[in-house]
Formats: sequence, C-alpha cells, structure tokens
Amino acid sequence: MSTNTSQTPAERLRDAGLYAPGEAVLSVRDLNVRFNSENGVVHAVRGVDFDLMPGKTLGIVGESGSGKSVTSMAIMGLLPETADITGSVRYKGKELLGLSDKAMCKHRGSDIAMVFQDPLSSLTPVYTVGTQIIEALTVHNPSMSKQAKEARAVDLLRMVGIPSPKDRLKAFPHEFSGGMRQRVMIAIAIANDPRVLIADEPTTALDVTIQAQVLEVLHTAQEETGAAVVMITHDLGVVAGMADDIMVMYAGKPVETGTVEDIYYNPRMPYTLGLLGAVPRVDTATKQSLVPIEGTPPNLALPVTGCSFAARCPMVSDACLHGEPELFPVPGTEGQTLGHKAACIKSDQLSGNADAHRIFHAPPKPVSKFDGVARVERAKVLELRDVKKHFPLLKGALIKRRIGTVKAVDGLSFDIREGECVSIVGESGCGKTTTLLEIMEFHPDQVGEVVIGGVSNKVATDHKTTMAMRKEMQMVFQDPTGALDPRFTVYEVLAEPLENLGMPKAAIKKRIMELMKLVGLQSDHVNRFPNQFSGGQRQRIGIARALAVNPKLVVLDEPVSALDVSVQAGVINLLDKLRAELGLSYLMVAHDLSVVRHISDRVAVMYLGKIVETGDVDHVFDNPRHPYTRALLSAIPVPDPHLERTRERIILQGDLPSPLDAPKGCNFATRCPVFAALPPAKQEKCLTLEPPLAPEKEGTQDFACFFPDGEIDADMLVVHA
Amino acid sequence: MTNIIDPIAEIDESRVGDQDVVIGKSRIIFRRFMRNRTAVAGLFIFLALFLFSIFGGFLTSWDKDTLDPLNIGMPPSPDHLLGTTQAGIDLMALIVDGTRTSILIGLIVGGVSVLISAVYGCTMAFFGGKVDATMLFILEALIMMPAILVVAVATSGSGGLKDLPSWLLLIVVLLFFSWMGTARLVRSLSMSLMQRDYVKAAKYMGVPSRRIVWRHLVPNIGSLLVLDFTRGITGAILAEVAFSFIGIGIKLPDVSLGVLIGQATGQVSSFPWMFWVPLTVMFLLTGSLAMMNDGLRDAFDPSSSSIGRAKTKTAKAGK
Repeated sequence: MSTNTSQTPAERLRDAGLYAPGEAVLSVRDLNVRFNSENGVVHAVRGVDFDLMPGKTLGIVGESGSGKSVTSMAIMGLLPETADITGSVRYKGKELLGLSDKAMCKHRGSDIAMVFQDPLSSLTPVYTVGTQIIEALTVHNPSMSKQAKEARAVDLLRMVGIPSPKDRLKAFPHEFSGGMRQRVMIAIAIANDPRVLIADEPTTALDVTIQAQVLEVLHTAQEETGAAVVMITHDLGVVAGMADDIMVMYAGKPVETGTVEDIYYNPRMPYTLGLLGAVPRVDTATKQSLVPIEGTPPNLALPVTGCSFAARCPMVSDACLHGEPELFPVPGTEGQTLGHKAACIKSDQLSGNADAHRIFHAPPKPVSKFDGVARVERAKVLELRDVKKHFPLLKGALIKRRIGTVKAVDGLSFDIREGECVSIVGESGCGKTTTLLEIMEFHPDQVGEVVIGGVSNKVATDHKTTMAMRKEMQMVFQDPTGALDPRFTVYEVLAEPLENLGMPKAAIKKRIMELMKLVGLQSDHVNRFPNQFSGGQRQRIGIARALAVNPKLVVLDEPVSALDVSVQAGVINLLDKLRAELGLSYLMVAHDLSVVRHISDRVAVMYLGKIVETGDVDHVFDNPRHPYTRALLSAIPVPDPHLERTRERIILQGDLPSPLDAPKGCNFATRCPVFAALPPAKQEKCLTLEPPLAPEKEGTQDFACFFPDGEIDADMLVVHA
Repeated sequence: MTNIIDPIAEIDESRVGDQDVVIGKSRIIFRRFMRNRTAVAGLFIFLALFLFSIFGGFLTSWDKDTLDPLNIGMPPSPDHLLGTTQAGIDLMALIVDGTRTSILIGLIVGGVSVLISAVYGCTMAFFGGKVDATMLFILEALIMMPAILVVAVATSGSGGLKDLPSWLLLIVVLLFFSWMGTARLVRSLSMSLMQRDYVKAAKYMGVPSRRIVWRHLVPNIGSLLVLDFTRGITGAILAEVAFSFIGIGIKLPDVSLGVLIGQATGQVSSFPWMFWVPLTVMFLLTGSLAMMNDGLRDAFDPSSSSIGRAKTKTAKAGK
C-alpha cells in the first residue's frame, strides 16, 4: 500500500519516471517467476515487459508452457507462496508485487479482475448466481444498499446477455450451461468496473458457437466499462479480431510484440511465422501441407544460453547459439511509440512476404492412389444404415419411471469409401461421440446396421467375426496421455495388439521397428515410457498402435485437439501422409472446423443426433445451405485481423436444447436464425414437418432444411465496424 | 482418487525431450518421501523397533519364562534395565517379546488384508452386474458384524480352536474384519480405471477382459495399495492392543504390548514402569507408522507441497 521504503532513491526516481497520468494503466517490467520442480528450479517467466493502455486489448499468445498463464497469475498475485517472483507490476503507478495477500485483495476484483478458463469449476455450486455476483459487489462496496446491489446484479446479467436476469439471480450454477456460466464469470469480473480485465483462455473450454457468443459478450463488456483487456490464448484466430496489440511468448519470454497488423501480416520472428502457417484456415480450400515446427520447447530448468527457439528454428546459424537475443525494434519501425519488436537476429531477413512453407520445409501435399478414382467406384469400408441410440430418461428414487427418451443418435446413415476421410462435426452433445462408440461397440443387439469391411454387426455373434472386424478398424483417442497405459513402455504398448493376434515374437519386433519409423519416431525410443515423450510424440505412438494390425479404417476421435498448435500441424501432416501411403480411410470427429476442412474429403454436420448437412467438404464449407452449418462456419475465428473485423457473424441465441424438449418438426427451429425471420405461415411448416436430408441439385451436398435461402434474422447478425 | 492412480504424470508433463531430464517415478517418490523429515524419522524409529524386537533379547540375560525371586516388583536397575514384574519376570524380555508379537500381527494383517481387498475389489469391478451386487452384499454384511463379539468368542477357546496359539487366532480374526473398506475403495478405483482410454483402446483391440484386468488395472492401483499397507499395519496393532487390553485378544503365556498395558493398569501408582514402558513403545510404534504414512501420502500426491520452494531466503528478506 505504502511506497516501498527499502528502495534506493535512484530506484524511486526510475519508478516515478515510469508513470505519468494518462499513461499505461498496467505496466509490467522485467517480470521473472521461478518454481521448484523435481528437475530443479524452473524459470517459468523470464523477463516480461509490457504496458497496457486504458481501453486497449493486449493479446498474449503462446503454447502451453510458454508462461502466459503464469504471467497473469503473477499480476493477480495468485501464485503459490513457494514461487519466486521478481520484477515490477504497476497498476496506475502503484507497485503490486510484494503486497501482502490482504492488501492485494483491495485490488483484485475491483481494479484488476480475471476471467478463468474453466467456467464449470469457477463458480461455487452451493450459492446462487445472484449471491456470488452480490458477494463481489459487497467486498469492494460495503456501504452499498441491498436493493442497489441487487439492481446492479440484474444490470450485469442483462449486460452479459442472460435472458430474464431478474429470475435468473436465484438460479444455481448447475442450472446454467457452460457458456452461460462463463457469462456469469464475466459479469462478476466487471461488477466493480475494473480498469484491467485479464481473460485467461476464456473460451477454450467452450463450443465454437458458444465461443462466438462469449467473445461477443467480452467485447460488449469492454465497451461498457472501458477496461483494458489482457487476452491470453493459444488460438491466433480468437485474438485476431479483438486485440490491438499482440505479444507472442515462447519459453517464458516475449519473442515478438507489435500491433495485430504487424504480427499477422509482417511477422519478423520465425516462431510467429511458423505458428501462423501451422494453423489451417477454415475459409480457404488449401491444397498444401501445414507448416510443422519440429521439436519441443527448451527445458526451462536449465539455463538458456542461446536463442530459446534455436533448436526448432529452420534459419538457425551459429550466431543464434551465442547469447539470447533481446527484443529489439524491427528495422524501419523505430521511433513509433509502440513499435514492432522481435527477438531474432535475423528479423530483417523475414521482411516482406516471407513464405513459411519454404522456410520451414513443409512437405508437399501427399497424393493417394485413390485420389484419381471416382468415389462411386471405390469399395465401401464402413456403412451405417439407420443407426439409432436412444437412452431412456428415468426419474424417481425407488421406482423408476420413464419420463422421456434422449435421442443421442437418431437414424444415422452414411458410408466411407476407400482412401477418404469423413468428418463428423457439431457442438458437444450433438451425438458425435455416441456415433463413434456405436461403431466401435459392434454388437448384434444394436438398432440399425453397421457394416465394416463387409462384415455386418447383425452376424457378429462369435468372437472370430468380431476379431476380424477389429483388425479392419482401429481407433486413435483424443487425449494422448490417457490413451497410453503409464506403466507400459512404448514397446509394450505397440506389442499389445500384435500379441493379441498371436504374432510370433520376432515378427512383432520387426513390425514395431517399422511402425516407429512410419510415424516418425526414433526406433531406439521403444524402451521409454509414455511420460517421457511430449504430447505430439504420444499421439504419434497412439497412431502407431492403431496402425499396428494394418487396419483399413482408422477412427480418429478429436486427434489433435489436445495438442499445441505447432505440434498439431506435424500430426495432421502425418495423418495426411499415412492416408496417402497406406490407402487408409478415416472417420474423424472434431470440433475444430479448420482442421476438418484441411484433412477431410467429406463432412457430415450433426445437430441433436441427426445429420443436417453432408457432402464434399468444399461444397459444404464454401456454400453452406443449412442455417446451422452457416452459423457454425461463421463462428470460427480466422487468423486474419482485417477479415475478422469486417466480416458478418451469425451469433446463435442460446445453447443446444436438451434432447428432451427437442421440437417436433425441425430440430434446429428453436435457435434457427432463418426461422426467426420467417413469416408465421412458413414457421408453421418448420415446426410440424421434419425436413428430409436431400440434395438441392445433383452433385452437391445433402441438407435438411425447407428454406435454405431464407433471410437471416437481423438480431443474430453482428458486424464490428 | 485419480491422484492416487497416477501421481507423477502431471509432474512429468514438464519438458522431456532429452534423457537426462527424465527421472524414474519410483525415484521421484523416494526423493519426495526423503524430503519429509518427519516421515524419515518415522521410518528410522520403526526400523529401530523392528530390530529391537528381533535382537532385543541380547540386551538382557533374562527371558520371559524365568522368574528372579531376588527382584520381585523392582524398579529399573542395572540388573534389570527396565525393572521386573510383581512375579519377578524381567520387563525388558517381556517388551521384546510383546513388540515382536505386535509387529508380527501388524505386518501380517496389513499385508494380507491388502491382498484380499485388491483381489476382491478388482473382481467386483471387473465382473460387475450380479456378481458385483452379491459380493457387495457380503461385504456390507461383514462391515455390520460386531467384530468385538467374534474376537471374544474365537479367542475364548470355545470354538475348538484351542490348539492354535492365541496370536495366530487373533491374526485370523483381525484379517477377517480388516479388508472391507479397502476392497470398496479398490472397486471404485478399478471402475474408474475401466473408463480410461487405454483400457478402452485395449478393449477395441479385442484384448480379452481377463488380461486387461491383470495388465492394466492391477499395476495402476499399486500406489493405493502401498498406502493402505502402512495404514493397515497401524490399524492392526491398535486393534490388537485394544482387544488385549480388555482381555479378549492375546492370552498368556503369549505376551503383546496390549497384554502388558492391560496388566499394568491396576498398579500404575505402585509399579509405574510396568505401565509406562509398554505404553511408550506402543506410541513409538504407531506414531512412527503414522509419520511414515503421512510422508508416503505426500510423496504419492502430486499436488502436495513436498516439491520444495523456489523462493530463496534472500528473496524473502528483500520484501
């Protein structure tokens, strides 16, 4: 609270010079954070400097482990006692570092507020939402009357777009969906008109449509309160439209800072360039590979001697290994107040239109032997005919009554041909994963028919048939860590499916060596345990395990969603390569539409257990017909600031309805932006009849909508000027 | 619960490109255990008592069956380091014998009951359905049963079990009542493990269920079992002391710490050493185990603070 008396006069002078009225609301200087670990002291944040101007948005971008979250926690004073924090964090000129927890409480929530990543766990389940908002108000405004606080809480809820806010005050967190809870978190954060709002991956745990809603709310919140926002994210698309300035962090250090335009259109650090090239784009049909950034970030428990990115940089030279480069202004931008700075001694070589694909040696797009063959002439590897999975909904403690049916999967039919990749997309809860489980289950008692490699589930009564099918189809899981037994070595992991087929020992060994080479791992690593690999390498092991028995079809359940952007590109390229070389077919479930667009040939959009649109990926993405597909596609942020700021966005109202109260006619009617704008006579048709899944004209995608050309309701369209 | 299953995974998430950074899991647990001074002290006390119970006989020239008519009910003296009982038996010899019995009971009951509960719990989780329901019913019934009555009946010799030494009989009875809690824990842990992706992966590969349980389930509940072993020892020792104290556990001529404490309670004022010495030994025994258990739990728990501090003393002083 009081000025630090242990400072020398020189320090005080320096500090005084740092702050003048009308300047940065938050300024961080030389922030260093160290933690202890089993491997020694980890230097997690190594000298972060930034100034946050009032009303501006700073995006901090980086991979996991780059220190971006630790930075925000250090600013908020939320790091554990055991951490060693040095440097300076000033809020309006006042030093925050070193304040006691009690003194810090005066600032937290009133001057600086935070929105956390996981909305499901950041609200207390035993208090109503109203109580929790009012609590935030009471702490910093003890004199406020009860009525005033309640009125303010209602205002806040209305501001973040929660319908009938007055009644919702008395609701408990579990009565809200994830997106709604994140809105409540934002309401609590802005309750006391903070000058700084720190949002730590605020939308990572949410669906794309909900992400679009929440980003919109953050935008409104910032406009209403005039707060400066620090937006921490790993997604270059999310910040493109929101941020004014960007700071790219790598290995605990900012490696490039500048305005959004500088970073996105003129990156001067190879890492930034690679990151931008590693993200697939949803808005263009790219026919080239992604930019892979090989290797892993350095171990911060050891001192960093050269450039921290040197080990992964394609432009590395001897000079890079001697001394870590400081952030210095990019030539030609000196003199600007917030100049473009990069920590790279070769930043001048990257000027203009540097091609990431060339610099990072991106492999050429692989060509499969099936690419030339027309789809109808290829054999079917998987066929689903009217597959249904209904769960009874029971109520009652002692005697269970059936009060309804959850139609998780409701009459799904599609097929996959040799050498193609079919993706199922949709929000969580739409039945994607249940579909996969139904296919993997492969049991005669299922409703509907699943045919895998010519074997139908209706005849799979004995172990032999099932085993034959298991050999045809294998699965790759979402979480590479959870999918590998921590107590197995890589050898044992890969040997398991082969032993199961009764392969002799010598042959197993040979096959495992082949597999390791195939997925790009060193063959002498077979004796290591999964936790000795990075996330991307673990996913490669998972892929190798799936390929061990030479399947025709690989089921991919969100194969890259748990991976960092830079690693993701490598795994996607690998999947692409394997499909071409081995003639594999993929069935993929993913929520990231950019990844889907990049890797798939065909796509099926699911909503509440039904396919609402399906067809060639380019048809569906370039010319979506179903309003839901249109909304989904418009919700994806694009890593292009100009486009992101000017394009129209459809913001869907509300969340996925509970399958219980699904409408009788078209499932989507309750949220449909076209339906909302229809005259009542036409609305009647949507509410009573179920639209069939059919193509409009020959050769394009199938979709299930009566009014594909309908106007979009103006309330659901948002354009940022 | 998941913490116990895979304690170190989160720690190992740190950058692991090169070999020298990788530390084995068992080594990490050992290091974390050694960092807890109390736990290490507990380990040493326990080891000392263990050695004392085996080799303690050499500290005195007397044994527990020999009377010393010249020293009846004498306080500690150079002749009898810990004094004698009112019958003239050397207390040191009795304590050595009693400690041995108590540790033996603890180790056997702790170890075997963990085994039983692991097998029982895994079986329940694995078969599920009716098997699970039946086994769970039996388990619940056993929890309801009044252990003290069964111990009283069994050790009174009325069940035709006279031939067995009383310590063995007590072990059997204690075993019978000690495994249920852990078995339920193992059951729920295994059930959650069955939902793991790697178990699913094995299933989708067509690996037989029996092999899944053996290769994937059992090794992954190992750390829970280690913790439960040390906890079980303490429980068994305390149960023995309690039963013997009220006269239904170990019967003479066998001695245990409980028997010694029970005998001495009536004469605390006249023969205080007879009461305080066995009581101290019992506290040292159970206390050392509790200290160890605490350290073990911290070592297995990734969220505990046994990782140490990064903040140096100078950094603290500067604030």
